[in-house]
Amino acid sequence: MGLVQGAATIDRLRDEIQGVRYREATTTFCRLVTEEARPLKETIKAAIASAAPYVQVPSHLMQLPSGEMRGVNYDHTILGWRGAISLMGELGGARGILPNVQAMWYVPQGLNVWEQVICEFPGHYARDGEQCGKRFPGPDEHVNRFDGPAWNPPKIYFEDHAPIEGGSMDDRLSRMNWAIAEGDKAEAYGLFLGLAKDRANRQRLKDAILFAGITDLQDTIINRGGYQNIGHKALRARALVDIADYLGWDDAHELIYTVVPDLGCSPRLYGLWSEISTICRLEMPQHASIPKRSDKPLTERELDILTEAIVWGGPFEVNAAIMGFFKRGAGILDVGDAVVACFQRYLIDVLENPHAFLHPTHALDYMNVVQSWIRGFDNPHQVKAVFMGARFMNDTIRSNANFPRDPQYSLESRHTYRGWSDSIAVDRLLPALKDYVLAQDAPRSCALVDSYLDRTTERHDLLDTITYAACHWQNDPHVMRNGASSLEEFRHNRTSRRDDIIRGYVKHQARYVKRAPTHDCYQVYADYFHPAEALA
Amino acid sequence: MTTLDEFWRVRNAAAVTLGLCEDQMRRAIRDASVEQLVALLETFSPARSTGPEWTRTFEPLMERLWAWRDAETMTALAAFFRAKGVPWMAVANALSPGRRADLRHPAGARLPAFTVV
Repeated sequence: MGLVQGAATIDRLRDEIQGVRYREATTTFCRLVTEEARPLKETIKAAIASAAPYVQVPSHLMQLPSGEMRGVNYDHTILGWRGAISLMGELGGARGILPNVQAMWYVPQGLNVWEQVICEFPGHYARDGEQCGKRFPGPDEHVNRFDGPAWNPPKIYFEDHAPIEGGSMDDRLSRMNWAIAEGDKAEAYGLFLGLAKDRANRQRLKDAILFAGITDLQDTIINRGGYQNIGHKALRARALVDIADYLGWDDAHELIYTVVPDLGCSPRLYGLWSEISTICRLEMPQHASIPKRSDKPLTERELDILTEAIVWGGPFEVNAAIMGFFKRGAGILDVGDAVVACFQRYLIDVLENPHAFLHPTHALDYMNVVQSWIRGFDNPHQVKAVFMGARFMNDTIRSNANFPRDPQYSLESRHTYRGWSDSIAVDRLLPALKDYVLAQDAPRSCALVDSYLDRTTERHDLLDTITYAACHWQNDPHVMRNGASSLEEFRHNRTSRRDDIIRGYVKHQARYVKRAPTHDCYQVYADYFHPAEALA
Repeated sequence: MTTLDEFWRVRNAAAVTLGLCEDQMRRAIRDASVEQLVALLETFSPARSTGPEWTRTFEPLMERLWAWRDAETMTALAAFFRAKGVPWMAVANALSPGRRADLRHPAGARLPAFTVV
């Protein structure tokens, strides 16, 4: 641990976040929690508040001088916190702090996305995605100035607003949903703030914001460039609900400022929602009365049919399969669980290219939002959301399949190493698994998981091992988010194939492209939280 | 049709039909010029593909090219697509000598063990 000058304070943390000094901000975050004994919750809230004014963009579409459009990335800082807070309970103790330190490490790198994509502000997108350092190098060619610190203060594209109050709950919820759909960010945000003040409104408010996020989803990403949102409206809504529940709604103003305006940001895409609404109205006029669970869950044959439709079929085959299950009496979560489990075969059997995991796993995270909404709320539209999730998964798979397979990324079969993994004593499997996930050796990691699943009924420590290893990798909030989704879906899944969620999870975390080859953030965490001692 | 032997008869009939198709394809690929093969491979661009169902047949086609064309043709194809730049790297890599398909030809089988779909 290097010598750090000066006291760790919330003001210092704010300055380091806004100045894109992510290494220093992470150290200050750790010092606040350890040396200053600040509650973790209070420190997370301070970090969210410091970033809040700087995560909005004018649009997620940018018109280029040529007249063509490019996409502008969505804020990921809040998604990292959502995943981290969820995983904190899963990992427990000092180990549970690691995903939060990773979330903190990312926050200063994720501000001012609009300026980052045009190389006018440092951060993850400017440094990595846009390669701005090569296009606009600084005076020292050995220093990438897009790694920070910032040379300008970050811009504010959406000022904070006052709550809008007055009127009935129904009227205000209706106005808020319409404001989001119409792109009136100020009206939507003001109404949300006003509604959130009253505890009695909150359950319906959560339901409404999740509904708004889930229904805004592109019908395809195939050759669409930036004209999509890959589920980010839903992911943000879920982040808001979960983090507000963690912080307390009375302490959630900056969180709401972070999330709600972006739900009304362009583009807003309701084509798929319209299609699914139409087919449900035509074929299942009583769909609002379908129960969440039934005594007719999917059979093994039906799980095979659904797998074939999602992984190898087209959109209308997905519609037909799911429609058939509902019409013969399956419940909403019976089918939703099956969608989550069947999708895993794509991760397990098909995906090889480390760069190709990103979109399908966004679809899995979107489906997790759908499932949590169905589990936690009652809404007459929930049947439609199951179609939406399955269609999103199928579309990302088809989008990847539209590119010829590159043999450069060929992957050995997990089955090649099954004999090897079976030869390892059961009590040594998890330490070996951690090592092979950290080595990004997917075939051996998957073989170790196959062996463990067959030889034990224990699952908690297995999931803990995969998750903790995955959280060693920095600069990527998707890791925490997907960990949270996979663990939550595994716990709730009632299909015979729920273990496939673990098989897909480990393949993802042992193969998905990494944004940095080093574990600097983990080292900062280890210096302050001493995870080995915590384990002992 | 409920018995195993009936299923097996249908499967065998389908295999015979597929074998005849492979014979036709083999003759067509052997007779094609480099320019014609380039035109076929260019249909696997994401911007020109008729969809994932077409693009998924890229791998089976590569196996047949490696089985039925000479090294000189494959080298010419690889050079052509490598020159087209990064978007065509997957095609160029599949055509590179180091990636030559390791086709199995089981004893007694009429055709190599091609990928079917």
